Amino acid sequence: MWSTVLLLGPAVGWLGLFFLAPLGIILLYSFAQRSFYGGVQWNFHVGNYIQLLDPLYFSIYWRSLIIATATTLICLVICYPVAYYIAVQSSKKWKNLLLLLCVVPFWTGFLLRTYAWVFLLRAEGFINSLLMQANLIDRPLTWLLYSDFAVLVGQVYGEIPFMILPLYVSLERLDIRLVEAAMDLGANRWSAFFRVVVPLTKVGIITAIVLVFIPSLGAFITPDLLGGAKSAMVGNVIQNQFVQRNQPLGSALSVLLTIVILVLLIVAFRSGPRSKESAQ
Amino acid sequence: MTRLWLIIVYLILYAPIAVLVVFSFNRGRIGAVWRGFTWDWYTAALNNQTIIQSLRLSLLVAVLTAVLATLVGTAAALAFYRRRLRLRRAYEAMFYLPIIVPEIVVGFAMVAFFGLIGFRLGLWTVVIAHVAFSVSYVFFVVRARLTMLPPRLAEAAMDLGANEVQAFVRVTLPLLAPAIAAAALLVFTISLDDYVITSFVAGAGAATLPLQVYSMIKTGITPEINAISTILLLTTVVLAAVSFQLRAGRFTKVNGTLVATVLIGIGAFAAGGSNPTVTQAELNLLIWSNYIAPSVVRNFEQRYRVKVNMETYDSNEAMLAKLQAGVARYDIIVPSDYMVRILIKQNLLLPLDHASLLNRVHLDPAMLNRPFDPQNRYSLPYAWTTAGIGYRKDKVTEPIDSWSALWNPAYRDRIVMLDDVREAFAVALKLSGYSLNSTNANELRQARDRLVEQKPLVRAYDSAAFDQVLLSGDAWLSHGYSGQIAKIMLEHPAIAFVIPREGCTIAIDNLCIPRVAQRPDLAHEFINYLMEPAVAAENMNFIVYPIPNRAALPMVRAELRNNPALFPPAEALKNCEYLADVGETMLLYDRYWTEVKIHR
Repeated sequence: MWSTVLLLGPAVGWLGLFFLAPLGIILLYSFAQRSFYGGVQWNFHVGNYIQLLDPLYFSIYWRSLIIATATTLICLVICYPVAYYIAVQSSKKWKNLLLLLCVVPFWTGFLLRTYAWVFLLRAEGFINSLLMQANLIDRPLTWLLYSDFAVLVGQVYGEIPFMILPLYVSLERLDIRLVEAAMDLGANRWSAFFRVVVPLTKVGIITAIVLVFIPSLGAFITPDLLGGAKSAMVGNVIQNQFVQRNQPLGSALSVLLTIVILVLLIVAFRSGPRSKESAQ
Repeated sequence: MTRLWLIIVYLILYAPIAVLVVFSFNRGRIGAVWRGFTWDWYTAALNNQTIIQSLRLSLLVAVLTAVLATLVGTAAALAFYRRRLRLRRAYEAMFYLPIIVPEIVVGFAMVAFFGLIGFRLGLWTVVIAHVAFSVSYVFFVVRARLTMLPPRLAEAAMDLGANEVQAFVRVTLPLLAPAIAAAALLVFTISLDDYVITSFVAGAGAATLPLQVYSMIKTGITPEINAISTILLLTTVVLAAVSFQLRAGRFTKVNGTLVATVLIGIGAFAAGGSNPTVTQAELNLLIWSNYIAPSVVRNFEQRYRVKVNMETYDSNEAMLAKLQAGVARYDIIVPSDYMVRILIKQNLLLPLDHASLLNRVHLDPAMLNRPFDPQNRYSLPYAWTTAGIGYRKDKVTEPIDSWSALWNPAYRDRIVMLDDVREAFAVALKLSGYSLNSTNANELRQARDRLVEQKPLVRAYDSAAFDQVLLSGDAWLSHGYSGQIAKIMLEHPAIAFVIPREGCTIAIDNLCIPRVAQRPDLAHEFINYLMEPAVAAENMNFIVYPIPNRAALPMVRAELRNNPALFPPAEALKNCEYLADVGETMLLYDRYWTEVKIHR
């Protein structure tokens, strides 16, 4: 009994004090009122939440959802065949190497990856120089950087490993004989894929989607660096409230974002019964 | 088919990194044209004290985080191992939370929390925050391994006479070691890489490498970043490879020694930065990014035997937010005119002791006694600037003398605007012939409409790196500050700067001492030191913003002294205005700015 307290105590204490308490505090702040030059007045009101219903913010939520959804879908389409190949079609020796290779770029650091794209996509950056030298274009493509395209490129690139790994885990458990059986029974490749492989790897797909979608929803550095600060996502608005010293509004938006994510998670994991194991 | 796809995806994964690495050896400073091989950027990066210092700090934080999180997280995982736990699900949920909650929310919550309990931001707040979000990773990695352990082994040991502790130390722990080591490495790299949360909770003197890299990406894009990136890449790849081996369960002597060596090496490097024998006095400086010469700071440190901790910001509002978070004790801040007014009103500034600021006699009287602080009781001018148009004479052939150039469709996608609500509105208001401090809703609405109309032409909104965008040729016209544009004039002959005839903002940045300062005595020394003519000249040669110090001017490089972009004739300034505090109207500005930003 005492040993349990000793073992679990530090973690519960640390997370309780330095994680749950801060979350509790922004919950409190979200019902407080802003005083003009920063600071907070403690009179309970729901004005911050009402302010979040302003149509002004709706286009921001909408945009965040669209970008996050697009990131997730593009990632899924790119990564599923890769995960499938690694899990099903490569030998044991190659498997580990290929997995390691798709994780390595992820170890290079988040800012570096983003910077690499700035470097590549600039008007006089690598890609434009290459295209110009090849005489494919006669002036630089300016939409490559500081655009939604650039934001999507940066986001998708950054999330690829988070998509591949969970897909790989569930594809590896797939019994390939079931696919063969389906094809023997007359299914073509596509229907075997959509009616056998996809349902059997549903858990992995859901986990991967969740792992990619959530960080994309809260992203704010990529839109800033690659998007040229031309349009805001929810993360940028939260960051702005800190800069503009409106902690109550920032808190309310943070609480809202957290609740949305928790609800999405519950929905996602209700639809995949055994998903808890693979989430680990 | 699938194999081809696989190859393409791996190419995409590695191409950006490969290009980044290759260009760290490129002789050219800008652009992506190969100009020959050089090691110069590596030498430069490794001689850059700011970078080395922040690297040390990052490693120190990562080591502390790895040790603490691994201890705490492993213990928690053991508590879950073959024990009945009340509230098991609740605890599990608690461990899931840090993985689920977006980083931006965590950062925001942490800084609110530290502010509320009055905990000073610094190195420790970074470690505390890092441990808080990484305990969960350790917990899940170690627990996954524990569930795979054959349960009977420990029982067998106990049957053979071992007590619970012995069974744990001699049987369970060795079996668990690979997972613990892998978890520690995972946490180490996560901590090393974290930007978002750190940017909220790092106080003065806690600028970790990611914070440094971010400000380099934002302000000075040179191959130095590529060089540092390459070094980091190599380090992380080695660590990652070892970690991968460990998780696969291959805990060999070689791996163990490798990890131990790397850790000891890193620890020694990190500890080498702090000088434990001398407890030095510290001065906490909060200043605009790239706004003071490193040599000026270094000389002060040596002359007065103090350590200067520097933290940067890129808007007055961000500075105020940091100051009001109330958690860091800055000794010197550098607010602009209207912000000085706000700070005085808020009673956040300490009156200056003019008796100890003898060098103020050198200052240009034209920059003293300005309306925001009539007797200079709280502030002394540090440097000043205008926000006009920087442009490329080689790309823009017509003469530029009006803001309307930034609305010219011929320059579509070649225009950069400052990412700052007041500066952007100042341009639009001036273009319509209004005061840039307008509080008239009608005028503001017109200004908003103009900015919305301009948006399709704008390449980016950027307050920090607008000069780099101009220099690299990405943009041809940029709304920007005189000093920063003058700095790139030194590098590129085709760059010009103009104060539009409609007028623009003029700003004085001032040295002030906040009330919360811990060393007001040292702060006064520092201000007095900065006003020494030789120091001011050295400083101006580096920052390239005009410093209003008459005695320093003869010592300033001629190409700066004679540059009308920096020292415009009085005639050019006649329509310029200082930004004023607009009070509650700021809410309207913010709202309209958001509307501009969301417009597609």
